[in-house]
Amino acid sequence: MVTSYPGTPSSEILPEVIRFVKSAHLDTYVEWSTNEKVALDTAFAASITGKRAACCMKQVGLNVAADSLMSSAYLGTRGGLVIISADDPGPHSSQTEQDTRFMARVAKVPVLDPSNPQEAREMVSLAMDISEEFSVPVVLRPAIRVCHARQSITFNSFHESDRKASFERNPQRWAATPRFRLTLHRELNRKLRKIAERFETLSHYNFHNLEPGRRYPLGIIAGGVPYSVIRDILAEKHRTDIPVLKIGTPFPFPEKLAAEFTAACNRVLVLEETDTVIEYFLQNKDKVLGRLSLHVPSEGELVPDLLYGIVSNTLEELGLERLCQAEDPEAAELIASLELPVRRPTLCPGCPHRAAFFAIRKARPKAIFASDIGCYTLGLNLGAVDTCLDMGAAITMASGFYHAFAQDEIVQPIVATIGDSTFFHSGTAGLLNAVYNGARFILVILDNQTTAMTGMQPTPELGIRADGSRGKAVSLERIVKGCGCDFIEVIDPYDIKKMTDMIKKASDYVNSPDGGIAVIIARHPCVIAYPEEAVPEKIHVEVTDACVECNVCLERFECPALYHDQELGRVNVNRELCVDCGVCIQVCPKGAIVEA
Amino acid sequence: MERVNIVLCGLGGQGILFMTRVLAQAALDKGFPVMGAETHGMAQRGGSVISHLIFGDVQGSMARSGTVHFLLSLDENEGYRNLPFLSRGGKLFVNTDPKDFPRQEVKGFLEDRHITSRAVPASHIARDLGAPRSSNLALLGFFAAFGEGPLAYVELKSIIENISPKRFKEINSAVFEAGYNKRDQWKGTISY
Repeated sequence: MVTSYPGTPSSEILPEVIRFVKSAHLDTYVEWSTNEKVALDTAFAASITGKRAACCMKQVGLNVAADSLMSSAYLGTRGGLVIISADDPGPHSSQTEQDTRFMARVAKVPVLDPSNPQEAREMVSLAMDISEEFSVPVVLRPAIRVCHARQSITFNSFHESDRKASFERNPQRWAATPRFRLTLHRELNRKLRKIAERFETLSHYNFHNLEPGRRYPLGIIAGGVPYSVIRDILAEKHRTDIPVLKIGTPFPFPEKLAAEFTAACNRVLVLEETDTVIEYFLQNKDKVLGRLSLHVPSEGELVPDLLYGIVSNTLEELGLERLCQAEDPEAAELIASLELPVRRPTLCPGCPHRAAFFAIRKARPKAIFASDIGCYTLGLNLGAVDTCLDMGAAITMASGFYHAFAQDEIVQPIVATIGDSTFFHSGTAGLLNAVYNGARFILVILDNQTTAMTGMQPTPELGIRADGSRGKAVSLERIVKGCGCDFIEVIDPYDIKKMTDMIKKASDYVNSPDGGIAVIIARHPCVIAYPEEAVPEKIHVEVTDACVECNVCLERFECPALYHDQELGRVNVNRELCVDCGVCIQVCPKGAIVEA
Repeated sequence: MERVNIVLCGLGGQGILFMTRVLAQAALDKGFPVMGAETHGMAQRGGSVISHLIFGDVQGSMARSGTVHFLLSLDENEGYRNLPFLSRGGKLFVNTDPKDFPRQEVKGFLEDRHITSRAVPASHIARDLGAPRSSNLALLGFFAAFGEGPLAYVELKSIIENISPKRFKEINSAVFEAGYNKRDQWKGTISY
């Protein structure tokens, strides 16, 4: 079984599993689960029936699944259980740069840290074997440069398991009360000591290139992607004077191997992403250079240029031969002097969210706009997103805002926006809490019928499952009704006038004596996932000389297909980008955008 | 083999990932070891996008500044932004009007480092053929026309035909060819 909730940079794993399963005619159960905790619980159950299971997510998804992770470590597994949690140093597409290796340490489960796709492939089978041998979940932590990398790799042959599901009743284990949990904790600690011994001898993943008897002024200890980068740099520069210890299993930490390496070096420089896991585990702290000694920045991705500079500067500081041509200040200055426009991400041309945000902002300009995680976070470019905390926080924060202001008897308009997939992920608990506790705000569910940001995975509403087979479609309206909401309207946001009127109507409901939460489902298909359904009727627009360059369309609507044309002295349409949705016609205050 | 580093850049939505796939597959078919890094996620929504491709025996997926042999940019500004990647003697291919290219300020930089810069109006080529979203393939065709990279025109063309979705196969191939044919009109000067 393989379960997952999409999230960059992990989203491509499940679709590739499905492709593999189909091409090899395997019988593997796969699902897009509604969230990461659901995914891990489901995979855990499969494991305790004796089957092998994997569960894939991004690093912040592991927070959602943390409850399941911590407890499953105590209970232990039967069939192998591998949790793949993809990290995002940068961050490129995440709300934090948290380090999954630390999460694994907190949960007391082994974690493997691949340096490139080839090693990730090998480590999946190692993780399965370790999990089955020691009856413990194992975490694999590929960082973004492993996930979104391309590498020619070799496959091993494989065999299909014919294990049948079985369940042996054992409430003291599978339903352990705190008294039994102490025993399970002791058992887990015992397993970890044994795994630690194994990792000391796992020379394919933990190794160094010390020459016996030789002493080194500086050695490098590296794991994950930084190992690959530093290996390439040292090979390219023929720096055999700098030995490297590679750590493929950061927890349990191969302490003896690290001590042996450190003993041969006067100093060791630690290169790892994103936090200080190896650095914390190293014993001989006075030899260690890394984040704690400020030799390595404590935030951001260790891109090759940066890493090169860190190593070069450290060598210089220690009076050793540095790497040549570390920096190119001339190039950097030239690029800075060009004052190139900064291209911030923006909603796509024809995106229904843009129309919805424009209407929301128009109808309730003074509202607090609590929003959430997805493409629509980009509504902040339109001034219609004020907050983004975590999955589902549009609703819970709107509720918190309401109570904070209501306590002071202030009527503060609040409009929450959440995407359909995010609502299915963690909207309902917050919504029924808000209803139960009497919060009042407008909730707009931006329903584009897909999980757009992460690559168009289906949502429960569609009734299409991960492998393309039919599932049961789950109605958003019925869920909202089931949460206790009385005001539920469905509207197409492409009609900005109707959408604006609807928000005003919703606002009247919120503020009425018997009011509460008004839910508007703004339903229009994603223009990338469903180009034809999203724009059923092509409306070819042009801008007339009535344009007075007020820039409302550029700043408040921000469609990438509209731009200021210097020569014409007015706004113009970029035909390469325009999808002919025609929504902008409704936006221009001067009526200068017309159908051609 | 000698290592070859390529960087492809532009804006989200311009088809940089597809270009990367074409080059990677062609290299793979030729038996080169392939390594590469891509941009996915939020940046794909119109932000700066960059792909690294390395042919050769490496473990890291990204090239360092000053080491890239070929820089292909679907957007002029993104091309300038990524100039520091180019090595001495590197080649720059940009989708823009050749008339005003390159910007005056960068000419000295390019000359000092013996970088050859070439522009092709890939967007116009693609638009004129009725496939405005295929400018990536026009640029790729133009790049292939000079035969400087490790991959030949025919090799790339057969990959494009193999991996394009059925309904785009013909047009993608035509746009690629049109980009290739622009070589004859290229009147730029090589800086070395």
